[in-house]
Amino acid sequence: MAGLVGSAYTVAVYGLALIVVVGILSLFFEWFDRKAFARLQNRYGPLHTGPSGLLQPLADFIKLLSKEDITPEAADKLLFALSPVVICTIPLLTLFFIPVFSKEAIVFFEGDLIFALFLATLLYLFVFIAAWSSTNPFSIVGGVRAALQLMSYEIPLALALIVPAMFAKSLSITTIAKWFETSFQPYALVPLALAFFIAVVCAQAELERVPFDIPEAESEIVAGWQTEFSGRKLALLRLASDIELVLMAALIATLFFGGAAGPWLPPFAWFLIKTTIVVFVFANIRALFARFRIDQLLRGAWGILLPLSMLNVFVAYVLMQMM
Amino acid sequence: MGLRNRLIKWARIKSPWIIHFDCSSCNGCDIEIVAALTPRYDVERFGILLRGSPRHADILVVSGSVSHQVAPRLRRIYEQMPEPKFVMAVGACACGAGVFRDCYNVLEGVDKVIPVDVYVPGCPPKPEAIIQGVVELIEKLKAA
Repeated sequence: MAGLVGSAYTVAVYGLALIVVVGILSLFFEWFDRKAFARLQNRYGPLHTGPSGLLQPLADFIKLLSKEDITPEAADKLLFALSPVVICTIPLLTLFFIPVFSKEAIVFFEGDLIFALFLATLLYLFVFIAAWSSTNPFSIVGGVRAALQLMSYEIPLALALIVPAMFAKSLSITTIAKWFETSFQPYALVPLALAFFIAVVCAQAELERVPFDIPEAESEIVAGWQTEFSGRKLALLRLASDIELVLMAALIATLFFGGAAGPWLPPFAWFLIKTTIVVFVFANIRALFARFRIDQLLRGAWGILLPLSMLNVFVAYVLMQMM
Repeated sequence: MGLRNRLIKWARIKSPWIIHFDCSSCNGCDIEIVAALTPRYDVERFGILLRGSPRHADILVVSGSVSHQVAPRLRRIYEQMPEPKFVMAVGACACGAGVFRDCYNVLEGVDKVIPVDVYVPGCPPKPEAIIQGVVELIEKLKAA
């Protein structure tokens, strides 16, 4: 276990910088996503809040912070207050393992990819707790759907993210990103492309975005597991979903396109370019599809995505042995 | 006015989220509200979003005549919304019972149950009129 960038002091400084940058980036990506989504639907999207609506997510955030914060009489008060904070913190923590400012993450060790996946699963445990603690039938149905969704996409996602780790012969996100720059082999392209496709599909489910926004489905269950949250708690939950968007985009950009690695430009610029492209792909998927039913998601994930990702891992292994 | 209050006021003006409650409308006003939300008029330009849960919304958009049966439910939805909250009555029925005036089962408008901030008359009002109603509400907020 190694690889803190330097002394505890430098880690603290980089950590604070990362938190500020991720905060700004999450609001920017929400704007970018909403704007791209709107343009794909032939409309303008946010336009009058700041230059081309750039400050819209900030206005939403401040407004929600200033609103009344209602705690239902029947809710589990402690968990109800705690879960939005935890849901907001976990994706922020996971971003510490991804290279953003330099070619090395702030914290990295052999196996941090597995730890990042573990944190992503833990997040959904707290989503379920948030739903359960608000004691609203809509929330609980939403929470159960979130748990079911987790069971369907989690294994294909893990198997897809393992493929670049197999080629790089490392379970550290930083080492995988370095492999793209130093010893990338063209024969890896085919398994990587398929793994990228699976990872993008699973990321949509992880982020609860349109083809898989089943736990939120506002036309069926009001606002799903978020139904009872208002004011500051809702502001935190919205920020959490934006940070999660940054996290998934950064994870996919790092594991499939090398993240901060790249020629000429500084690492942070490459990171920004690659994650923005991934967010644009996400926005396209959101605009192209309608919501699936929960049984369609389960059948699709266990019947198509899982065998496909297993086959992909096998093909990657055979290719590695042959080359 | 301090910087903090100015910031909050700016955010409130720029991000009015609405929830639509249909009392017992003939769907004329509802379709016009949907028309105001869809790409042709695209109210997301002004930061207006349609939310499903009353806990998330700022403006309650009510359409249709308020019958005695729906009145307590309307009141409950209103009470579920967090402060500060505003109410917009859309259509003749919501403003004052419309053609159902003097019916035995109908109250004369939304303002008999909950306080209304903006009235949008018409049977049904055009989407432009509904957007104008939101603009009036924002003007009221600016003046406050």
